[in-house]
Amino acid sequence: MKSTLKKRYPVIFVFLILSSALMIFPFAWMFLSAFKTSADVYSYPPKWIPSSFKWTNFAEVFKKIPFLRFYANSIGVAFIQTFLQIAVSAMGAFALTKLEFPGRKKMFSFMQSSMYVPEVVTMIPLFLLASWAGLVDTYAGLILPGLNCAFTTILLMSFFQTIPNDLIDAAKIDGCGYYRIFLQVMLPNSRTAIGTASLFAFLTHWRSYMWPLIVTNNVKMRTLPIGLKYLVQETSSEYQTLMAASLMAIIPVLVVYMLMEKEFVQSITLTGLKS
Amino acid sequence: MKRMVTMFAALLLLCAAVIPVAAQTKLKVWYAVSGNSGEAFKAMLEKYDALNDDVTIESSYSGNYGDTATKVSASLVSNTAPDLALMAAGPLYTGARNDYFIESKINDPDFNKDDIYPGVWDYAKYNGRICAVPYGISTPVLYYNKTILDKAGISLKNPPKTWAEFAQVAKTAQAKGNVSGSADFWGFDVTDVAWLFKTMLNQNGNGIITVKGTKIAPAFADEKADEVALFWKKLVDDKVMPMGQHSNAEKKFLAGNLAFLVATSARISRWASDPTLKFGAIPMPYFQKPSVALGGNVLVILSKDQKTKEVAWKLVKYLASKENQTAFALNTGYLPIRKSGLTLPEAKKAVESNGMFAVAFNQLDNSWSYWHFEQMGTMDQILAQMIDTIERNVRDPKAALDKAAADLQAEIDG
Repeated sequence: MKSTLKKRYPVIFVFLILSSALMIFPFAWMFLSAFKTSADVYSYPPKWIPSSFKWTNFAEVFKKIPFLRFYANSIGVAFIQTFLQIAVSAMGAFALTKLEFPGRKKMFSFMQSSMYVPEVVTMIPLFLLASWAGLVDTYAGLILPGLNCAFTTILLMSFFQTIPNDLIDAAKIDGCGYYRIFLQVMLPNSRTAIGTASLFAFLTHWRSYMWPLIVTNNVKMRTLPIGLKYLVQETSSEYQTLMAASLMAIIPVLVVYMLMEKEFVQSITLTGLKS
Repeated sequence: MKRMVTMFAALLLLCAAVIPVAAQTKLKVWYAVSGNSGEAFKAMLEKYDALNDDVTIESSYSGNYGDTATKVSASLVSNTAPDLALMAAGPLYTGARNDYFIESKINDPDFNKDDIYPGVWDYAKYNGRICAVPYGISTPVLYYNKTILDKAGISLKNPPKTWAEFAQVAKTAQAKGNVSGSADFWGFDVTDVAWLFKTMLNQNGNGIITVKGTKIAPAFADEKADEVALFWKKLVDDKVMPMGQHSNAEKKFLAGNLAFLVATSARISRWASDPTLKFGAIPMPYFQKPSVALGGNVLVILSKDQKTKEVAWKLVKYLASKENQTAFALNTGYLPIRKSGLTLPEAKKAVESNGMFAVAFNQLDNSWSYWHFEQMGTMDQILAQMIDTIERNVRDPKAALDKAAADLQAEIDG
């Protein structure tokens, strides 16, 4: 296949190679900068390869911030949020596409409109609610208000609509109730879409910064994006330490992507969604 | 007898349990400085905590200035605000809420308010009244690259005093000092355009805003401001300063592609400690009078409880003492706010070891600030956009200044 593409469409092949290089460039730069000395980072013309590979940049990260604690918090919070968000979104998408009930369209419009409200507008009212509920500096406070179900619900709805109603009717004839239809018919047939939605949700929660900053004061409760900010210098820019921390921070995202790459690409093909 | 002993023991236990709790005050402190500055500030809090049995401090990094503003706003409406905060624009969270507790305390003889530079005090005012304590203060500083100037044959033994003189020097540096042979080489640039523009306006006799009673109005649409804007445009037209690429100014300077840079004084301690960087600083040139606009952060007491406020004030006094604030300044790159701080051995040593410190410290005599007002952040954005339109020839300087003043007035009028 590769050789066919190379031979038949050489221009497209070169274009794809160049595009890939463009995408890889920031990652390569981050990877190499994580091993550079301070002088290498600022040298002109820019140095691609570090003059000596400085592994101590990684040790410096652990010395300066409780990196493992931030890491554990981020992984725990992002995975739980993703699970909860996908569970709620899948049930919502099922109800809105396959069930008939009064106010269904209005509910959908209301949910859709919530996507157009900027986060900054809802931040203070949301914090008021969280504070009133005693969620400040708790994992519940980090997880629950951060769930953004509208986007993933709409994404799953577009996929659920492609599942024939005949399949659901057949399940009903076989004696299935709504719960079994949802669990044994809808979900197994939507693995690709759920994988994509999970990836989007995970990425959003993994890089979430403002809400975790607002709702936590205790350093033990903080997540990785806030942790990286601790390394930003007021009077200088020690990019090499920041790059070392960033390199370690993207590992879970890469792992999740590699695990779900197939579903992700398939879903783009099926739904035409590239967001 | 047995009952009496039991009762006595119970009383002792009760005393032991109650007395320390009743005497100890918990202080919640947020700080908007990260990296070494954050570590230095936290270390001082921990030291104070260790020295004072009657106080327990819970400190927390609250994000950068913008993040902290959002976090403090949210905490104020939900009554979860910290007792003390180190943040930018602090007076908007005290004076604007009619809280002038600090004003009532600054005459405390232990505090010695007259030791703090008068211009620095203006940075802690709302409606002309003090409602914060200046802390991590910085000013713009004009840095130069020694290697570039050496190649251009420029000596700064008698540095240019006015902007007109400086423009000539920058032009020469641009023409003859390209050490790296880069096509992207410039004579002069600035990291924060609004900050330098405000400095220049005040130097030329324009106060930026006027205050009548409690009403604020923009004052930067007059012929004095026009002169400054025309000078700015000439720097771009003469290709001494790049057009609209100011966010890259520091990177260019560090890479040896810029002869002169105006950036925060907070860079000095970092650059002075790196022997590979051959940088220096000269006093900021001026139009009519020397002046530099202040920036940075202040300490504000946000607690509503009178007793906690008093405890927080003791902590403020400790943090803003000559020794502690000067040590914080020298460690982090901010400037000493107290005149007496410059007489300390460590400050003298810093000045002797690197001339950049002397330049920044001397500028404090000419430091200046306007009072805080709600739209000051918006004003900086408007000024930055205005300068961009001038640089790109979208509007002529006078029209751009008029529009910016009208835009700010509209913001103030709501």
